[in-house]
Amino acid sequence: MTGLARAGKTAFLTSAAANLLALGTGQSVLPGLARRLKGRSIRVALAPSGASGLPRFDHQRHLAALTQDPPAWPERTSAASMLALDVTLGRERLGIGLPSQRLRLELLDYPGEWLLDLPLLRTSFADWSASVLRRLDAPAVAQHVAEFMAFSSALPAGAPADEAMAATGHRLYRAMLHRLRDDAGLSLLQPGRFLMPAPGPEPAWTPFFPNLGTAGLEALLARRYAAYVQAVQRDLNEPMFGNLDRIVVLVDLLTALHAGREAFDDAAASVAAAARALRWRRSWVETAWALGHLRRPPRVVTRVAFAATKADHVADRQRGNLAALLRNVAQGGTGESAEVRTSYLPIAAVRCTEDFVWTLDGRPVSAVRGRRIGDDRMLRSYPGEVPDRPPDDAFWAYPFLQVPEFEPLRPPDAGRGGVPELGLDTLLCFLLDDFL
Amino acid sequence: MKVEPRIELEEARAPRLEPSPLAVITTDEAVPPSGTAALALAGVAVLALGLAGLSIGNFMVDQFARSAWLGWTTLGIASAGFGLIGAGVAREIRALLVLRHVDDLRAGFASGDAGRMMDAASTWSRMVPGGMTTAAALQAVNDPDAAVALLRAGPCRTLRDAADRLGRVAAVQAVAGVAAIPSPALDVLFVAWRGVRLVRQVAALYGVRPGVLGTLGLLRRAAVAATLVGVANLAGNTAAHAVLSNPLLAHALGDAAAAGVAARRLLVLARATALACDPVPPG
Repeated sequence: MTGLARAGKTAFLTSAAANLLALGTGQSVLPGLARRLKGRSIRVALAPSGASGLPRFDHQRHLAALTQDPPAWPERTSAASMLALDVTLGRERLGIGLPSQRLRLELLDYPGEWLLDLPLLRTSFADWSASVLRRLDAPAVAQHVAEFMAFSSALPAGAPADEAMAATGHRLYRAMLHRLRDDAGLSLLQPGRFLMPAPGPEPAWTPFFPNLGTAGLEALLARRYAAYVQAVQRDLNEPMFGNLDRIVVLVDLLTALHAGREAFDDAAASVAAAARALRWRRSWVETAWALGHLRRPPRVVTRVAFAATKADHVADRQRGNLAALLRNVAQGGTGESAEVRTSYLPIAAVRCTEDFVWTLDGRPVSAVRGRRIGDDRMLRSYPGEVPDRPPDDAFWAYPFLQVPEFEPLRPPDAGRGGVPELGLDTLLCFLLDDFL
Repeated sequence: MKVEPRIELEEARAPRLEPSPLAVITTDEAVPPSGTAALALAGVAVLALGLAGLSIGNFMVDQFARSAWLGWTTLGIASAGFGLIGAGVAREIRALLVLRHVDDLRAGFASGDAGRMMDAASTWSRMVPGGMTTAAALQAVNDPDAAVALLRAGPCRTLRDAADRLGRVAAVQAVAGVAAIPSPALDVLFVAWRGVRLVRQVAALYGVRPGVLGTLGLLRRAAVAATLVGVANLAGNTAAHAVLSNPLLAHALGDAAAAGVAARRLLVLARATALACDPVPPG
């Protein structure tokens, strides 16, 4: 399960775990999945952590935050964690009882900023620097990048490997990344750990920044970049992304639509970059190497669900457009492999609103309403029309309003009866289709 | 004309939104209403007991007419006889109620409601032999998931091991009995009797002491539970039985093969009965 920062990964995992556990106790949740079971028994239990080096995802704490009064959304994720569920499904074929099917679902939570470190694994320092500096040259971001670009252009091509210079450039670059994220709403910001550092003290190779020099400083920065990439490979790619066979990519398109044309294009580029970085095709070289060393060949992703989150923030009539927009944005990320089955869905892992018809300027409009977080009054929201393809100039002529931060619907039985959702059921049916 | 997007706050205060309830999805089989056979059996019981009561009443009046001591003796005998029948009926009803109570506890554990789960855990731990130690520990645990884990690790495991031991003893006896009994028809009766006895033994282990009707109810529940725990074994046994029923093999192996199948069935029966008597959801 992947997604950019603030796309709703933690809420998704909390809701998926709570609803699956509730389904296992016979509660009336996930009706689509329950229908697919056709009366077969299902048991869901938290799997023991064993000797895993990853911290356990604390879904109880997040669920408690959603159920309490007043409720609270999960904080920004600052470290990776994992929750594993054991699903046991009874099965029957032609009236003959067969042993139960067992499946372990491993749900991984991690800072979304780190996702964009994956493309760095196949990019050299020179190529990365060139692409970053090219994007920073755009007039739309000039005011946010002025300090760093001034420093970068003042560096002579033959600058020596000076520690103070590397540290200054790094400080300016890092401050610029924060401004681009917080003020300009951009997403394609690398390296991810500059925005959300890994727990513990920062390694000595951290201070680097994109540079196109030719001498000592450039060599020093390239060595540090290589060390960073190695750390990503060791800490993120191998343990977390190296053994996936189905994946959910969460995208918050509504917030990107509000943030403007540049932010939307940037979010689309981020999704495509992250999708390309995942392992979609079987590599015969890697397979042959693994078989030669008597190891299991690396898995490839066979099912991918792209999910547009916060779909309950627009009315039902607009969710079809949201799915179509997501399809247009994300298509191409998975390549043309016939091995990959792809679905594009609008979802709200934790539902917050109800649909209603709002009469505006004498015309009925499909809108939503819910309680804003921290307020006990209802908020009516009609943020604008969601386009079904990447927006053209006419769309940007009218503002798409910022979707409000609604409070979640009250989960029944303090979360033991599942979490109200929208589309999560369909998504789980798609991901587990072959298993069911 | 394009409608301008907008967001507005309503004036009135509103409670937190709650989800609309979903249709309850149930996979339980519909329970048929009492059938003709049950009604006819009830009629026979009423007639037998009622007519017997009336004729004994008439007989008692005649006895009192003959002499007082004969009347009192008849009354004593009739009271003792009907008292024993009543005690038997009360015992059956109590056993059926205990079975119903186990079903209620199972529903409590499956409800997902923290209060009901804790109540079920506390009640069941006091009901089973050796559960009082766990009952004390449950007082200190205020988390139903932890309580269920505690029960699974403690009384559930102990009782399941004991049930398995009973199953093994019954299996050994079945093998020995089938080898010793000369008639195949008597083999069937012997194994069936041993199976019913095993069900009652395992039920007693769990604090359920069934009578005839209770045993029948328990057998029905064990048959359902067997589909959960022993389908693989049952399928294997059926296959083994089919193979070993081959006349040539049967001639070569004698009754030992059938005895082996019966023994394995008793092992499965013990485990299935244990599951039927155990309301704690399996982990």
